[in-house]
Formats: sequence, structure tokens, C-alpha cells
Amino acid sequence: MVYYQTTHPSLLITIMLNSKHIILLPFFLWSICAFAQPGGFTSEPVKRGAYSFVVYVSGGLGHYPAYSKDLAYLDPKIQNVNPVSTIRIMWHPDHLVKVGLETGYLTFLNYTLTDSAGQRGKVLLNATPLLVEWTMALTKRFNVFAGSGVYFLTTNLDYKGKTRSKKISVGWMAAASYIQPLSKNMGLGAELKWLDAAESRDGTICLQLQWVWRFWKW
Amino acid sequence: MKISITILFACLISFSCKRNFEAPVPDTHWDLFESAEKLPSVARPGIEGIYNFQQGSDVFGLAAAAKWSYSANGNDTIYHLSLFCEKEVSYFILEGKKSGDSILLNGYWRKMVNTETGIARFTIASVNGARKLLNGIPLGSDDSIVLDGKYGNGPAMPDQSLRLKYNRPLYKAKPLQIVAHRGGGSTADLLPASENSVAMINMASRYGATGIEIDVRTTSDKVFVLFHDATLNERLIRKNGLLGPIENYSYDQLYTLVRLKQGERIPTLKEALHTVVYNTALEYVWLDTKFTGPIDELVKMQRQFMQEAAAIGRQLEITIGIPDQQVLNNFLALPDHNNIPSVCELTPDDVVAANSRIWAPRWTLGLQNEQVQQMHAQGRKAYVWTLDVPQNVFEYMNQGEFDGILSNYPSIVAYYYYAKQ
Repeated sequence: MVYYQTTHPSLLITIMLNSKHIILLPFFLWSICAFAQPGGFTSEPVKRGAYSFVVYVSGGLGHYPAYSKDLAYLDPKIQNVNPVSTIRIMWHPDHLVKVGLETGYLTFLNYTLTDSAGQRGKVLLNATPLLVEWTMALTKRFNVFAGSGVYFLTTNLDYKGKTRSKKISVGWMAAASYIQPLSKNMGLGAELKWLDAAESRDGTICLQLQWVWRFWKW
Repeated sequence: MKISITILFACLISFSCKRNFEAPVPDTHWDLFESAEKLPSVARPGIEGIYNFQQGSDVFGLAAAAKWSYSANGNDTIYHLSLFCEKEVSYFILEGKKSGDSILLNGYWRKMVNTETGIARFTIASVNGARKLLNGIPLGSDDSIVLDGKYGNGPAMPDQSLRLKYNRPLYKAKPLQIVAHRGGGSTADLLPASENSVAMINMASRYGATGIEIDVRTTSDKVFVLFHDATLNERLIRKNGLLGPIENYSYDQLYTLVRLKQGERIPTLKEALHTVVYNTALEYVWLDTKFTGPIDELVKMQRQFMQEAAAIGRQLEITIGIPDQQVLNNFLALPDHNNIPSVCELTPDDVVAANSRIWAPRWTLGLQNEQVQQMHAQGRKAYVWTLDVPQNVFEYMNQGEFDGILSNYPSIVAYYYYAKQ
């Protein structure tokens, strides 16, 4: 049975929780866009600037901060830091705000346990995000990113048999990066990023090295 | 521009913060109560009834229905007196003891529309009915039981006065099955036990339930377990990295790695039914079939526990839930389906085809008095699900002809039922 009323607000909040960030995010992005035009509105024809596609390839480490307390009943050995690799393609028009897509592969959670009978087990929760992202430069080299979309989550369990279980979750991200130019079309930077899948409630904070390449310009 | 972005980003972060709701059962330790004697069983029945609030009606409503329940654990049986109140789906859960010529009642109260809870303590003085109750002397028309007490908020010591005066006996003329959803209540309602857990089943009758609905799923190794949702998720379980359909995992994996929100293990159906038969006075179990495979093994378990209940003199009906067409087809494929007790949520024609004992339409379809009467004429019962809003419960109780109501808030169903005149 799935149809019910509730007199308690927490259930409603539980329902809303998965979408709260995503509801707020468009408002946030719209606000940025509203102010992000390089000049005031004019009906006069203006000259279009350069358009380009830019790829961001990032690799680094992520930390999932919320699990150790929740998992205490299992007395697990948690791998606190896990690899995070992402790739992002952004369309850079002649506007302050740019849009693009990001995907990648990360490990939210990685732990081993030993049960009371001495049987060992291993749990991995991996994710592949697919996010629509927006970015703008706050200074010449300092950029902020925000996006929302879906995370394809996979649990890999190896305890009394191997189990692979999948689930799709909505989610979001926010990041800030510093990019040092190497050439006219290439740069190297560092990015601090928060990746959050609603299904797992908390996010992973990642620090990545980033290679940036403007690979197509017109 | 940058300031605007900073402000907007700060707003995004702050509005995204999650507020944690909690309603922990307060510590009810009371020295006087601890040193008191066990309440003689002869005293219990006389306390049941409808009481009017003489003090405290602004918080709990005009009246309360007092009803005893018990949970047994071997030779150890614990009795609880529940006071089901009308206002804001509130209730008291109390234990009773004898202190001299007085009766002490100690426990807590809770409102289900919010997280308000606190300690509650009552005394029935000798002159207010305790002497006669303790000696098993029937109360005369001039006698009236008075519960004098105090309640507090949260963990604070009780300091607000309460006074309840006996008004009339509980209504029991036309039986009503009060069926608690998810074994007794929902995890989202911050009860002291998780939904679909053994602990919750043990508590169900304290919340007013005479029966329970439990959600049956299978593990990858075909063990029946109780779990409401289609997938493991953090609404129901503690974080552990396991996601996806419960059917993907073996019972051993779930047993070791998964804990429900209040720390319990996911119970097997066998554990749940054993608890119902041997630890509770529940009269009815609705097995909500949430898997789509063959159900012959489920029927075997249904038969086993109905026989065990009958063997110890318990009146217990266990019905197989038929929530959709696929389960109906699986049910009809059983050679002796006509003789298997079932509860069908589909159309009256499907109820006849399955020879279900109970028709269970959802409440949004309306009172359907004509169809309910048809079911009665065929010797069947009709239960409505899932009624949670007090006004709806009142309407269906007084204008409908249903024999049972499924609710996440059995206490409000119990109040409206027992308070009928």
C-alpha cells in the first residue's frame, strides 16, 4: 500500500528531503543568470564573442564524513579516503555563466568487517554521477560550479556471497576551482568539490587535480 | 554581483539544512513507583472505561479511553494501561502498581501530530475507587474512579496537573478490528521501535491495535522478511552502504549488516508471527504480500501459525493480502485457494473469485456502504485502509459500515471506537 496521509511533518520532510537541494538550485542558478550578463540590455545588434567547448579532467581523493558513527554496530574498518575521478565538458559562450555536463566514478563508502563467527566481509558503495552544471568565474582564475542530476549508485557486497545491487538517486554538486593557465587553451588546477547523492543523504568532499583543455573554439 | 552570489549561496546552504525530529520516550523512573507492589489482576478490569478530563482538557481533549493491553515473554507478562485521547492524536502509556490502598500509574504521554512527549504519573486514591478496585468489589453507581496526576514536557519532572473522572464503560457493542499499519506504526512517526520490527509488534496493542498489517518480502535465498519499501533506504535503515531491492540480498547478509532505524534487525516473517502468537493478544494479522513470486510457502506459514495459535487457545486470524492482479493470479493458482483466508484489496468480483474473507478497499474510494453491505450478505468482512486523519476516522467509524480500519495511528481509531455511545 503506498497511499497514505500523515499527520506528522517528519514524513513530509523525508519525502521532500530528496528534492530540497534540487528545488533550490534552479532558483540559485536563475539568480546568477539574471545578473550575469556582461552589460545592460540593449536591442541594438551586438557582436557575438568567442564560443568554445572546454573539457575538465579531474582526479583526486574523496572523504565521506558521515559513516563512522552510523556503522558503529558493525565495528567496521572504514577506508576513509577513496579515489574520485570526474570528467566535465562545459560550453563557454560569451556570457559569464557557462553550462555543461559532468560524469565520473567515485566511491562513497568502502569498509570491511568481521562478524562474530570470524567471517570477513567487504562493502563498496560506488557512484557514477550524471550532472548538468553551471559555472562562472569569480576572478580570472577562480571559478565556482554547481549542478544537479542523477547518481547511478552500485553496492558491491562480498559477505557470504557476492551481491551487486543498483539504484538511481537524484543528487547535486558544488565546487570551487583554481586554474593556472599553461597555454592559451590549457590549464592545470585544483578543485574542491562536494558530491551529494540524496539516497545516501550525505556527500563526499573531494580534492582533485584538474587538467583543463579548450578543445574547440568558434 | 559577487556579493549577491555569496548571499544566494549562503541561503542555499542554510535552507538545505535538515532538521532532525526526535520524540524519545522520557525516563519514567519514579522512586515511589519502583518500591510499590505489583497491581493485582483483579484491579485491572474496573479501571477500563471512558474518562472525562477535569484538568488537562486543553492539552489532551475532553475525554480519554482507558484500555489495558499486555505483552508476554514466557512467564513474565507486562500490562500497560493506555489512555487514548482525542486531541492531536495523543495518548498515555502507563504501568500500574499498588501502593497501600492506592493505585499508582506511571508512564509517558505522546502526541502523534508533533514530537511532544513527556512523563505522566497518576494516583487513584483509596477514596477515589482504589480500595474497591484492589479488592475486586464492583463499583456502585455512586462510586467514580478519579485519576489524579501530573504530566511534564520532555524529560522534565511532571508539574502540570491532570484529573480524569470515570464516565462510562468502553463501547464494545459492534466489534471493530483496529489494524495497525506496518506492525504498529511508521518509523517516520518517531515511535520507540521501528516499523515492521518485532519490538513494534510487541507494542502494537499499547497503541490501540487489535490487529496488525505487516509487509512481507523475500530475500534472494527465499526467506520471508518484513520490510515496507521496495528498496533498502535510509528512511527505514541505518546507513550502511547497502542500497537497492531487498530481494538482491540473502537473509544472512541482511541479518548481519542491516539495522532498522531504532537498531533492530529486519525480522523474518516466522519471528514476527511467533511474536504475535506467543507474546501478544493481537487477534488479526494482515500479511501484505509485497513480492510477486509463488505464495505457497507463505500459505504454509500462515497455516502453521494459525494452528499454533489455536493449540494454545488463541483466537487469531492470519490473512494473505492480495494487493494487485499479479498476486491475485498467484493466489488463484493455488489448488485450494478457496479455503485460504485472504484479504483482497481489489474489486468485489475479485473478492468473490478468491473467496477472500475480507474486502479491503482504499479509503479514497469512499464509504461504499452498498458494497460493504453486499460483502456482509456474502458472509465477508470489509476493512478500509489507510485512515490516518482523525476527521476521516470519525466519519468512517460513524457513517460507514466497515468491520475494520487500518491506520498508522491506531490510538485515534481506538479513541473514536471506545468512546462511541
